[in-house]
Amino acid sequence: MVITGASEKVALQSLKASDWHLEGAFDVFYSQPQVAVTNCRHLEELYNRYKEQDADMIMVEGISQLCEDLQVDPQDIVMLVISWHMKASTMCEFSHEEFIGGLQSIGVDSIEKLCEKLPSLRAELKDDQKFREIYNFAFTWAKEKGQKSLSLETAIGMWQLLFAERHWPLIDYWCQFLQVRHNKAISRDTWSQLLEFVKTIDPQLTNYDEEGAWPYLIDEFVEYLIENGVVQRSK
Amino acid sequence: MSSQKNTAKLELYRSHIEEDPMFFDKSWKILDDGIREIYRNNPGGLSFEELYRTAHNLVVQQHGQKLYGKVTETLKGHLEEICRSVEDAQGWLFLEELQKRWDDHNKALRNVRDILMYMDKAVITTFKKTPVLDLGRELWRDIVVRSSKIHGRLLDTLLELIYRERMGYVINRGLIRRTTKMLMDLGSSVYRYDFEKPFLAVSESFYSVESQQFIECCDCGEYLKKVQRRLAEELDRVSQYMDSKCADKITSIVETEMLSNHMQRLILMENSGLVNMLIDDKREDLTRMYKLFKRIPDGHSTIRSVMTSHVKETGKALVTDPERLKDPVDFVQCLLNEKDKYNEIIRVSFRNDMTFQSALNSSFEYFINLNNRVPEFISLYVDDKLRKGVKGPNEEDVETVLDKVMILFGYLQEKDVFEKYYKQHLAKRLLSGKSTSDEAERSMLVRLKTECGYQFTSKLEGMFTDLKTSQDTMQSFYATFCGYTDGLTISVQILTTGSWPTQPCTPCNLPPEITDISESFRAYYLGTHNGRRLTWQTNMGNADIKATFRYRRHELNVSTYQMCVLMLFNSADGLTYSDIEQATAIPHAELKRCLQSLACVKGKNVLRKEPMSKDISEGDTFYYNDKFTSKLVKVKIGTVVAQKETEPEKMETRQRVEEDRKPHIEAAIVRVMKSRRVLDHNSIITEVTMQLQSRFLPNPLAIKKRIESLIEREFLERDKVDRRIYRYLA
Repeated sequence: MVITGASEKVALQSLKASDWHLEGAFDVFYSQPQVAVTNCRHLEELYNRYKEQDADMIMVEGISQLCEDLQVDPQDIVMLVISWHMKASTMCEFSHEEFIGGLQSIGVDSIEKLCEKLPSLRAELKDDQKFREIYNFAFTWAKEKGQKSLSLETAIGMWQLLFAERHWPLIDYWCQFLQVRHNKAISRDTWSQLLEFVKTIDPQLTNYDEEGAWPYLIDEFVEYLIENGVVQRSK
Repeated sequence: MSSQKNTAKLELYRSHIEEDPMFFDKSWKILDDGIREIYRNNPGGLSFEELYRTAHNLVVQQHGQKLYGKVTETLKGHLEEICRSVEDAQGWLFLEELQKRWDDHNKALRNVRDILMYMDKAVITTFKKTPVLDLGRELWRDIVVRSSKIHGRLLDTLLELIYRERMGYVINRGLIRRTTKMLMDLGSSVYRYDFEKPFLAVSESFYSVESQQFIECCDCGEYLKKVQRRLAEELDRVSQYMDSKCADKITSIVETEMLSNHMQRLILMENSGLVNMLIDDKREDLTRMYKLFKRIPDGHSTIRSVMTSHVKETGKALVTDPERLKDPVDFVQCLLNEKDKYNEIIRVSFRNDMTFQSALNSSFEYFINLNNRVPEFISLYVDDKLRKGVKGPNEEDVETVLDKVMILFGYLQEKDVFEKYYKQHLAKRLLSGKSTSDEAERSMLVRLKTECGYQFTSKLEGMFTDLKTSQDTMQSFYATFCGYTDGLTISVQILTTGSWPTQPCTPCNLPPEITDISESFRAYYLGTHNGRRLTWQTNMGNADIKATFRYRRHELNVSTYQMCVLMLFNSADGLTYSDIEQATAIPHAELKRCLQSLACVKGKNVLRKEPMSKDISEGDTFYYNDKFTSKLVKVKIGTVVAQKETEPEKMETRQRVEEDRKPHIEAAIVRVMKSRRVLDHNSIITEVTMQLQSRFLPNPLAIKKRIESLIEREFLERDKVDRRIYRYLA
């Protein structure tokens, strides 16, 4: 592990594969198609750079520092993508495991390498499947620990961030509607169904079906749009 | 040798007879003359035997066919003669002449047939000729009946006579009968084509015209009477002088022309049509209409649909009329009266026809649910009856009235709203002891149990139990209580919180005398019932107070709040509003109502107010009204009667109803999903609606919200592939 910088898991695999002969293991290791080689020691050092003084986690300060080092805005959506890779349980916090595990799965072990990866991370948002995963991940990540629903303010912030990447013409109306008519937290079902709505229903709502089992909040949104003359009632 | 002999014999035989070449002609002459005499009605002088023999011989001599031909000719000749004499008949004698001649002809024909019987038998089979009788008839038909001068005239005459009869004249029915019989005898196709068909065609236009005339000048009832009469007439006519198979045909013509063609116009006729008959309870007319319209296609369905829209309209007007709605009891009585009225009509005039009954039911169901206050009003009606006892318009007893009310109840979609109000009203009745009959109350409970299930009535029954238990508790309390009461007795009703629809209330300040004894009671109760909490509901309850006025002593029956206020005047003559407010701690709105009932109501003004205005304001001062008088010793001031709710109260109740519905909807969703496991959105809505329909009609949006709530709480989830499908999470 020290020599190759491989993770424990990979080391064990290589040793097993070579019948526990050390030299053979090296052969196995280096002949494997390398996705990424990350150096454990470097990762630990990185972690220590950002972690809190008296807790085994990275918190707001550490994250600010990280963003500075990466030269990205803390509000930049790429941070969300990174958090997703880390399987972070809640925003503004990374546990030891999450941080290390996340960077490993991205395949980097230094700030420079991470910087280089930023464009490709951003690109992941363009992939439909990954976008959906990231979008649904965002709900759990952004909400308060122990709460079932996402506060409206945070939800709106997240939506605006996410739908800047994946353009939805009605996003502003949606946020307006929520503030004016709803003013309560957002449930998980509403969150995830909204993405389906955005993906399947066209902005003029021509293929919106009242019997379509959309969450009632979305039905009300449609009513709101019709009332305000943004779209015509179909039929 | 023998053959020769035979031949000789035969030849001998033949030549013997064939000797006479004039044999045929001679024989024929005899017969011809004979037939002539027969046709002159003169058979007397003839020798049957001779004629028969002559004919016989001719046939034997192989002249049968020739004979037949001659006979035919002769007959024709006679008939032609007859024909002319009939043609010459004038006016009405025409028919008579025809008949007479027909009779004669038949008689003659029989005679002729008798004479020619041998020919008849021999020639018919051998040469396939028509038998004489038939021949005679055919010839009659062709020569006489269908002669150009007679045919048309015959038909016209018959039709003319029938027309006259229809117009009210008396005619010679016997003559017509014989004539039509003649036609029938000539062959059913003769009857049919030469008479019946034109008869039916003429009848059709006759009735078409007549119906048009009638409908212009008659009202519906009269018109229908006429139709009935005409139908009877036509049937009579047929039985008198037509073929009975004609009955159906002519009946159907009358029905079509007089009824079918004018059906809409009749039913919808202004001022006399179906709607007016219903309004004015014209039973006879309705019965007639029902019977007549049964005969024509769509007759009943049209009546049904007009009746339905009428009932729906009047019902709708009733439930949306603000004047009517001012008095709920009266309003419900109107509904009951309407139902009774139509029940009677259906029973008497429509022969209890089930299709009409169910049309009536669906009309009622429709309009009763147009106004969402009807459940409350029905409860108020029952409340009124149970308080006052039943003096129905027909001296009906309680049971009958309640049965009828339950039928109205059955039409309600929002039965849960009724339940809420019924609980409230029942509570008030029980607590104020205002119900006239315990039996009647229980009877109503049983009915509700049947409709709504045991869960609903279990709470109501709880209320009854509470009161009974309270009575027992009071008895044992007084048995053990030996405190100083100063002539004061209390009677406590202990209500179990879950069963009673009481509003929470902060107790006001009771007068000290009351506090003493009530606290003794509390101690006693809690001593025997561990772990319970008692809260005095001062917004309910009443008191009897002995009050001394200048002229007289009276006993006042007042509410708890009123008692608290009045008792203050034992130690002060005059008190301001704020004094009273402070001392009693009664909430503003209630205090104002309370003071108003004590000071501003004529005949009940035990307090005097300054200034003497109608309304209570915070600056008023109150004085004990020493000069109060009343004819009665016992004066009742302000009882708590169930009132129609005010707007804000109504909103509150409705909100509570909506809240109560949520758990019911959820329970239904869970039941459905538990058994089906996986189900799509619309099916859930359908199933849940069906499950709940005996209580209320759930709003699909409400169901959707409950589904989402269940998803949130992880009872259900959406299917990963088809978002319209839900799964049950065990």
